[in-house]
Amino acid sequence: MSTRHILLGLLAGGPSHGYDLKRRHDERFPQARPLAYGQVYTTLQRLVRDGLAEVDGTGSDGGPERTAYRSTVDGSRELARWAGEIAPPAPFVTNEIFAKVVVSILADGDPEAYLRAQRAAHMERMRELTAVKTAKGSDLATVLSADYALNHLDADLRWMATTAARLTTLTAEVDTA
Amino acid sequence: MSNQGDTSVPLLAARDLAKTHGRTRALSGASAELRAGEILAVTGTSGSGKSTLLHCLAGIVRPDEGTVTYAGERLDELSEKRLSELRRTEFGVVFQFGQLIPELRAVDNVALPLLLAGASRTDARATAGEWLERFGVRGQGESRPGELSGGQSQRVALARALVTAPRIVFADEPTGALDSLASEQVMTALVGTAREAGTAVLLITHDAQVAAYADREIRLTDGTVATAGVAA
Amino acid sequence: MNAFLADLRLAWLLTKGSDRREWWRVGLTAVGAALATGIGLGVVALRSLDGFYSVSFGSGLFDSPSDRRNVSLALGLLLIPVLGFLGQCARIGAVHRDRRLAALRLAGAGPWQVRRIAALESGLACLAGAVVATAAVVPLLPSPATDWAGVVLVAVAVPVLGAGVSAVALRRVVADPLGRVRRVRPVRGPGRLFGTATRLLTVTVVAIALTPVFGSPVSFGLGPVTVLVLAVLISLIAIWLSGASSRQLGEGFAAGTSRPALLIAAERLREDPWSTARTHAALLLVTVVGSGFAGVRQILLAGLADMRREGRLGTRMSYYTTGIDLTAAAILVAFALALTALAVGTAESLATRRRGLAAQAAAGVPHAVLARALLLETALPLLPAITVAGLGGTVISAWYGAAVSEHTDVPVPYAALLVPVGVYAACVLAAATSLPLLRRSVRPGELRYA
Repeated sequence: MSTRHILLGLLAGGPSHGYDLKRRHDERFPQARPLAYGQVYTTLQRLVRDGLAEVDGTGSDGGPERTAYRSTVDGSRELARWAGEIAPPAPFVTNEIFAKVVVSILADGDPEAYLRAQRAAHMERMRELTAVKTAKGSDLATVLSADYALNHLDADLRWMATTAARLTTLTAEVDTA
Repeated sequence: MSNQGDTSVPLLAARDLAKTHGRTRALSGASAELRAGEILAVTGTSGSGKSTLLHCLAGIVRPDEGTVTYAGERLDELSEKRLSELRRTEFGVVFQFGQLIPELRAVDNVALPLLLAGASRTDARATAGEWLERFGVRGQGESRPGELSGGQSQRVALARALVTAPRIVFADEPTGALDSLASEQVMTALVGTAREAGTAVLLITHDAQVAAYADREIRLTDGTVATAGVAA
Repeated sequence: MNAFLADLRLAWLLTKGSDRREWWRVGLTAVGAALATGIGLGVVALRSLDGFYSVSFGSGLFDSPSDRRNVSLALGLLLIPVLGFLGQCARIGAVHRDRRLAALRLAGAGPWQVRRIAALESGLACLAGAVVATAAVVPLLPSPATDWAGVVLVAVAVPVLGAGVSAVALRRVVADPLGRVRRVRPVRGPGRLFGTATRLLTVTVVAIALTPVFGSPVSFGLGPVTVLVLAVLISLIAIWLSGASSRQLGEGFAAGTSRPALLIAAERLREDPWSTARTHAALLLVTVVGSGFAGVRQILLAGLADMRREGRLGTRMSYYTTGIDLTAAAILVAFALALTALAVGTAESLATRRRGLAAQAAAGVPHAVLARALLLETALPLLPAITVAGLGGTVISAWYGAAVSEHTDVPVPYAALLVPVGVYAACVLAAATSLPLLRRSVRPGELRYA
C-alpha cells in the first residue's frame, strides 16, 4: 500500500496539514491500519523533496503552529498515473498459513490442529467484521471495506478446508521430497 | 444483547441424535443447544447431516435415537398433530426455496399462518403487509412468487416465517440460491429482525460469510459435531 | 426412414431406462391400448358376420345385421373416452419427462423430433397393449368368419392412434432446451373453438328438431342421432362452463375467504382454470349421456312393460333389455375411464408439486388443510358443470318422453336426476384416491432434493 499516493490523493481536494490528513485518512479507510503521525510527516517531507507537493503556508488558528501542504502539477500527474495502474495480481504466492502447514509437517507437528485453530480465529474475525458491517448507522465505506476483508477471509477459509481434506497426500509428498 | 431471557437453560436441546436415511447415516450422535434469542450457525460440507439436524430440531422428522427438548417438551415423543401446531405457531421455517405457494400472492403467502390460526382475511392481510414493509417488499405484495426475484421471494419467505412472532426460526440455506448482494440483504433483514424481536435462529449454511452473521457456530462432520465455536 | 429408426431407437432406450413413475405411465397406456384393441376387434368381429346368424349369447341382439351395425356403432363411440384416457396417460410425469426431453433438445434434437420421440414412447407402450389384447381376443372370435385384414388393421391402428394422441396431448409440454419446467398455457381459453362447435351443433339440433320424429320408440330411427348430437352440444357447453366457472369461482372465493384451504384451492383455479378442462370434458359427456340414458331407459322399460302387459311385444323382453344393458355397460366403461383419468390427473398434479407441499407441511400447514384444498380444487368447478350436464340429460329424457307420450304413459324420468349426483360423488371419491399420495408427498425427504 503506497502511503505517498494516498496522501497525494487526500491533498487533491485542496491544501491540508498533517493532522488533518491523518484524521481524514482514518475516516476514509475505516478498518485499515491507522496512520501514525510520524509516518504522515516523513511522507509529506519526501513528497516535497521529490517535487510532488509543496508547503502552502503555516498558520496557528490559535493552537500550535501547523504547516499546510498542497499538491504540485507533478504530484497530480503522478497520482493519476498511479491510480490508473493495475495492482499486480498476486505476483508472489507466499502465504503464512501454507508455510506453517508445511513447516509443521516437516517438524512432525499437528497441521490439522493448527488449521482448526486458524479456522476458528478466521471465523471469529469474520463475525467481528460482520457485526461492524451490520451495526446501525454504518456508512457504505465501512460496509465495503469490511466486505473486502470478509471476502479475503472467506477465500482463506475455503483454501484451508480443501487443504485440510488433502493433508494426508500433502504429508506424503512433503516427507518424500 | 444477543442473549435474552434465561440463558442458563437452553431453549432447544438435542442429545446424541442418530438418524439413518435408507443406508446412509445422516446423523450419528450429534448434540446441539440453542439458547433463547441466540443466532446459531450450523456449518459443514454437503452430506455432513446439517439439514437432517435441522429437521430433527424443528420436529419435522423424528430421530432414530436421542432426544430433542424444546421448552421442557420432548419433541421426539410428541404427536404429529402437536408437532405441526408447534411448527406453525412457535417455530418459523425458511428453506432455500419452495416454501411459498406459487398460486398465492406474496401477501397471502405471508398471511397464511395467521389464517391457519383463525385470523380474518382482512386482519391477516394487514399484518402481512406490515411484515412485507419491514423486509422492504411491500410493493411486491400483490405479486405471485414466480414474478419475484430470488432475493425478494426469500424476503417474503422470511416475513412468512416471522409473522407469527415465533420463538425460533429455522433457516436451511436461506441464501443458497442468491448472489452475494441479495444474500447480504436477506441476512441483514433476518438477523436484524430476529435480534429486535429476541427470536432465536438456527441457521444452516455452507457459506462462511453467512455463518459470520451468527453469534456462534457448530460444525458438523460425518453426522457429529466436530467443533463448537464460542460466542463473541 | 433412417431418422424414424433413430427416433424409435431413442424412444426404446428412454422407455427401458424409465423409473417407477414412468412404468406407471407405460402400464396405464398399455391397458388403455389393450382396451381400444379389444373394442376394435369386437367391431371387426361384428362387421365380419354376414346376414342372419344365430349367436349363442346376447338374447338375439347380435343375430340381425342392422342390430349388429347399431351395436358396433355404440362400441366405436366407446373409443372416444379410451383415446382421451391414452392422452391423459401421456401426460403422467410430463414435467419430469420435460427435463429429460430438454436434455435431448440441448443435445441438438429439434422440437418436433422430441415430440416424435415422446409420441413413439407412447406408441411402443400401445403396441405392447395391442399385441396382448389381440392374442387374447382372436381365439374367442367366431372362427368361420374371422376377418384377418381387420384384425391386423386394428392391431396396427391402435399404436399409431395412441402415438398420435400422445403427440397432441404433449403439444404444449415440450418447450425449450433449458428445460423450463412448466407447461405453456394458452393465454385465452379455448373459446373460439368452442364457439364454432357450439354454433354448428346448435344448427344441427334445430334442423333435427324441425324434422318430425318417425318410427316407434323402440326402433332405432333418427332419435339416437339427435340424442348423440344433443349430448355433445350440452357437454361442450358444460366444458366451457367448467372452465369459465373455475375462473369465476376462483376469483370469487379467493377475494373474500378466511379459510386457508379454500383460499389455496381458489387461487389455483384462478391461475389455471383450463388445466382440468379435458378431463372434465369426458366426465361431463358421460354425465349428459348417462343421465339422458337413465331417463330414456326408465321410459323405455315402462313402455315395454306396458306393451308386454297388453301383449303387443313382438319378441322376447330380454331382446330389448340386453340391448339396454349393453348400452349401460358401455356408458359405465366410459365413466370408469373418465374417473381414472381424473384420478390420474389429480395424482399427477400432486406429484409435480410434492416438494412445495413438503415445504408447506414442514412449515406447519396441517395435513387436513392441504387435503381439503386438493378436494376442493376438483369439487368446486365440477359442481356447476355437472349440475348443468345433469339438467341437460334430464331435458333429453324429458324430450324423449314427450316424443313417445302418444304411445304410452310416460313416468317422470327421476333416474336422470340421480345420475349427476352419483357422478359428482364418484368424482370427489376419485380425487380422494390421491390422498394417500399426498401423505407420502409431504414427507420431509422431499425437502432434500432441489
